[in-house]
Amino acid sequence: MENENTRFKVIAGGPLKVTGRFQIKGPDGEIIETAEAVFLCRCGNSSNKPFCDGSHKQNGFAE
Amino acid sequence: MNDPRNRQYTNGDITVFWVPSKCIHATTCFRELIEVFNPGRRPWVNMDGAPTRKIIEVVNKCPTQALIWKNNQDLTEEEQKAQRSVVPTEETPRTLSGQEEPTSIRIMRDGPIVVEGRFSITGSEDQKLKPSTLTSFCRCGASRNMPYCDGTHRKIDFTDQNSAYGE
Repeated sequence: MENENTRFKVIAGGPLKVTGRFQIKGPDGEIIETAEAVFLCRCGNSSNKPFCDGSHKQNGFAE
Repeated sequence: MNDPRNRQYTNGDITVFWVPSKCIHATTCFRELIEVFNPGRRPWVNMDGAPTRKIIEVVNKCPTQALIWKNNQDLTEEEQKAQRSVVPTEETPRTLSGQEEPTSIRIMRDGPIVVEGRFSITGSEDQKLKPSTLTSFCRCGASRNMPYCDGTHRKIDFTDQNSAYGE
């Protein structure tokens, strides 16, 4: 999309990289992150959800 | 119910009726069940996206009855006839308020990442994925439609234990 605010990059066997202008809200609507770049867990095993903590390497996550 | 913009969707079990003129864009439907109600897609209702009881639960939460449901055996003759007709175009609920807002990324409890706004997606092999203004990414690791959510998190009982937001 032209002039997008935010870019999502799916990292093979790893997290979702998010860059640009965005706001992350948790399940109760609370703002949990407004940084300009974050890595979000995709494997389901992070101990710091919704962020990546590298657990995908231990559990052999593949899509 | 005779507005030509009205739509109905069935999974063979129940039928969901969509009345655009009653919709106030409360967004309850897609916040709760993006696998079924996705305004970024055509048709925007996918009745195969979740079990019937889950669809009923979410339709019942629509604050204006823009969405209602009926058991298929309770349909009127006219409604049964409409079921078989092919409808070429449909409106979708308007979801974007201000284009200059930062992209909204919502973490759904025990569920996907729901993204709304202006954004691009690049796949794991550097390919550009289909642009959209609303999508949901898998967070449980088990979707069969990666990187998107396909509802599998419910089947595997994915939970938000060990999260940064105090679960």
